[in-house]
Amino acid sequence: MENYEKSHGWDGLVKILERSMGRRDFIVTSAAAGLLALTPRFVRGATNEPYRIGVLLPSTGAGANYSERPIKGLPLIAAEINKRGGLLGKHPIELIFRDTQTKPDVGAREARSLILNEKVKTVIGSWSSAVAMAIQEIVHEYKVLHLAATSNSSKIVNENYTPYTFMFGPNSQMQSSATVVAVSRMIKEKGWKNYVTLGLDYEWGRDAQRVFVEELAKVSPEIELKKELWAKLGETDFTSYITAIMGLKPDFVFGAIAGRDNETFLQQAKAAGFFQRVVYPGVFLPVTELMQQRKTLPRGIVGINRCPFFAHMDQPLMKKYVDLYQAQFGKEDYPDDFACMYFDSLNGLDQAVTKAGTVETEAVRKAMTGATLDTCRGKLTFRDCNNQLDCASYLGEVVDVPEYPFPIFDLKTLIVVEGRDIWLPADCEDVRKLQKKRA
Amino acid sequence: MPTDLGSLLVQLFSGLSRAMMLFLVSSGLSLIFGVMNILNFAHAALWLLGGYITFSVYTALVEHYGVSFVFLVPAVVAGTLALFAIGLAIERTLIRRMYGRELPEQLLLTFALILIIGDLIRLFWGVQNRRIILPIEPLPILGTFMNPYLFVIMVIGLVVAGFLWWFLARTRTGKIVRAAVYSRDMVSALGIRIPIIYGLVYAMGVAIAALSAGVFLPIMPIGLGLDMDLIVQCFAVVVIGGFGSIVGTFVASLLVGIVYSFSILIWPGGALAIIFIILVAVLIWRPWGLFGTEMRF
Amino acid sequence: MINGLYRKLDLSIRVLLVLAILFLLLPLLPGRFPLVVGTEILILGLLALSFNMIYGYMGQISFGHAAFFGLGAYTSALILRPLIEAGQLGYLGFFLALAAAVPISALGALIVGFFCVRLTGIYFAILSLAFGELLFYIVFSWYSFTKGDDGIQGLMPPFVFKSGVIYYYFTFAVVGITALLLRKISRSPFGYTLRMLRDNQNRTAFLGIDIRRVMLLNFVIAGAFAGLAGALWGPFQRSVSPALLGWHQSGVPVFMTLIGGAAHFAGPLVGSIIYTALNAYVTQFTSYWPLTIGLIILCVVLFLPGGLLSVIDIWVHRGRKADT
Repeated sequence: MENYEKSHGWDGLVKILERSMGRRDFIVTSAAAGLLALTPRFVRGATNEPYRIGVLLPSTGAGANYSERPIKGLPLIAAEINKRGGLLGKHPIELIFRDTQTKPDVGAREARSLILNEKVKTVIGSWSSAVAMAIQEIVHEYKVLHLAATSNSSKIVNENYTPYTFMFGPNSQMQSSATVVAVSRMIKEKGWKNYVTLGLDYEWGRDAQRVFVEELAKVSPEIELKKELWAKLGETDFTSYITAIMGLKPDFVFGAIAGRDNETFLQQAKAAGFFQRVVYPGVFLPVTELMQQRKTLPRGIVGINRCPFFAHMDQPLMKKYVDLYQAQFGKEDYPDDFACMYFDSLNGLDQAVTKAGTVETEAVRKAMTGATLDTCRGKLTFRDCNNQLDCASYLGEVVDVPEYPFPIFDLKTLIVVEGRDIWLPADCEDVRKLQKKRA
Repeated sequence: MPTDLGSLLVQLFSGLSRAMMLFLVSSGLSLIFGVMNILNFAHAALWLLGGYITFSVYTALVEHYGVSFVFLVPAVVAGTLALFAIGLAIERTLIRRMYGRELPEQLLLTFALILIIGDLIRLFWGVQNRRIILPIEPLPILGTFMNPYLFVIMVIGLVVAGFLWWFLARTRTGKIVRAAVYSRDMVSALGIRIPIIYGLVYAMGVAIAALSAGVFLPIMPIGLGLDMDLIVQCFAVVVIGGFGSIVGTFVASLLVGIVYSFSILIWPGGALAIIFIILVAVLIWRPWGLFGTEMRF
Repeated sequence: MINGLYRKLDLSIRVLLVLAILFLLLPLLPGRFPLVVGTEILILGLLALSFNMIYGYMGQISFGHAAFFGLGAYTSALILRPLIEAGQLGYLGFFLALAAAVPISALGALIVGFFCVRLTGIYFAILSLAFGELLFYIVFSWYSFTKGDDGIQGLMPPFVFKSGVIYYYFTFAVVGITALLLRKISRSPFGYTLRMLRDNQNRTAFLGIDIRRVMLLNFVIAGAFAGLAGALWGPFQRSVSPALLGWHQSGVPVFMTLIGGAAHFAGPLVGSIIYTALNAYVTQFTSYWPLTIGLIILCVVLFLPGGLLSVIDIWVHRGRKADT
């Protein structure tokens, strides 16, 4: 992260702070520390009227791990666009980053701060769906564009819909339905009879599990849900759940677990012999996890993710993202799902502005609604009733390959489930019925 | 619900390991409050710092000499000693000024510490989650499998509990510490310097937390924000057991761990609610906890 | 003569007068963000003032106070949403939402307080924390009613109140009136009974006063005002979430009161200005906001014991005692 390099000067100061000292010294050093903490937070553009974009992602707390690559990489994409002078060749992009602290109130306030003080015309983010939905109210009121990716609750595009929000990745319902596609195939193949679900007890987990159970019942009515288990968000010890599931001896387990808890679960499950007794299809494995858990991830399990670079290296835009990213951060690091989707959002904005011929928000919004954009996953179209990008979910077996220093999904057996095949409600009319009214 | 004996026993073991995890993190908190009357809100943040230090030492050793279980030991020792030193420093510079101050001011100070320590961790280690990978093979037991490292945790929990008991009951310093709980003034009057005792207790409490963080590294990744989730559980356990009572913390950890483990089978979403119900019930019926001294009330 | 009158007023009233003038003039600052910050300061200031009824005046610490703030916020949200959905949002509905929040959060405070007032000191604090977390957990889990950790979005004040300026002055009026009300309570016989209770519970009991009843009444009043603050918060932020009831939020009035000075009536309000403005503006300067805010809080605790107003009081050196 840009700031991390700058703040290595902190080292000396921090050591001073740790010595015990007198009151005057403390005040002087604290003031000096405060001054040094003043780091410029944005990429400065040229003299033409810049186009300011606010990036609302967590840089503290549990979400920071999954927002690091988008935060590191977005300036690179902006710089690429700025090479030709910016949007329309005359509006250089300025990115301003703010920490949402994974709190909806903070997200709303930072959104207001960005809009009112920094005069941003577009907001990119966030990680937590609850924060994203709080931000949606603000962007709707101030008529500012909102490009979403990591935060992917289906409520963002359905119940909480605003014409200003555009979702650049598959939403939670699409992901669950895609898992149903893969799992129902496996049920037929292996003659499975019953299953157990393990989910994190918060909105995303509840939603993902509910959609999976409902949709699976439609496709494979003979399958029995033996038990629903719920773990609390931030659970550090899954042992009791693991032993309980192994005791129940289900044919397979569906997991609605994401984030660090996902890694915790996988690590503890593997050490407990879970994967030798139970099949665990459809675990959420974005490239972030594939890279970070390369040494421990059980090979052969079936995972799902949203925008894996390895599935689209033939796409010129994906190759460009990887090249740009690695030029800055080294050959060992790759842009993860979230980074690629956010890169797409910035490029998508560029295309919409070009199509509209102006940076004026209403025109850009209209240009983006129902538009077909070039993305790293190919040419994709927005569903015009809720601004959901018709993008795919990717399911595959975790395997090692010589090209990459970490496991990927086996490209030979990769299942790509297109958005339009499984998104719900299937009818735009039903979608509009869900969308709530605002004052 | 699985009813075969093997599964139930394994569920019990998992409850015990959770209990030991809770005990290891919370015992220091209980000790610090019991002796010094300071609610060390920053306890989990210091726990996390210990974990990160252990991680760094282990990773450095592994990079030079290859992967080995054995390296965990010096890494954990390093983390424990580092936090002992940091604990002494914090007590001397900051906590010391809080004696006799109001409870909310203590909390404000220790909350500021949480913010500072958390950000310093982010500064030095970055935002990525960190993990230690030991080659652990699942242990076939009672018709199913278990993670053998859980037994290591249980043993360490018992060892630390035993150490604390021995320290407080059998050593001279420990007896002085217990005496200071009952009467600070009398201990002072006997010519023993209370500030040194307090410094020792704070450093010890924090060091035990760091030890537990290092010990847990092989079974869970650490990252930013982990301390926030943990501190509330620690408080619950310490309150249920009774401030200042190591036995109480131990028993409360067992209670919470085992109840949690079995409630998963009976009331899947309610495990956390059960803990709070126990907490509220204890506070209403017996506010000083199961083993706390009524004098504290 | 005005000078003489000014001398007669204690520090808190002076501070309140100065603050009132500053708040009235706030919209003159450039841009619309100061209005956002100002509204936050006022609403959270009310929360902190209500907290100080329990802490400064009664001598107990409530670590679950945000639960009542959250209850008020959710009450107003649950009333406003159906109205907005039906297109029937009007002044009546809005004021109904605000008014309904008060008895609901008062009821919550009654139930929680009933158990808490049986304890004192750290046990009061921890039980209030436990109840706060329990209430948070209930709101978090009750998906069908509260939408769980999704929160409730799409809240909005009606008609003219949509304007940042109008809502700001409206909040100023509400908070101002309630602050004066709280001041009146603190100066009433009831208020002095509270102080007596804080200073010596036994003596108060010996005077034949039912301590539990007095404490519970104060707790309920404090909870009711916290609920009113919450009801103002939801439409202002345009959404509510369960985090409003959690211990993080409960810590906010505690910090504000301590930073400003618990021994002074206006302390919590001053603390709100410092804390809210700090949080709102620090992120424009650094991404290491926890470190910055942590260090500032550290300095306040170590070098400004008793809060800013206590220090000012000593500086000004009129020899006046704390006005509580």
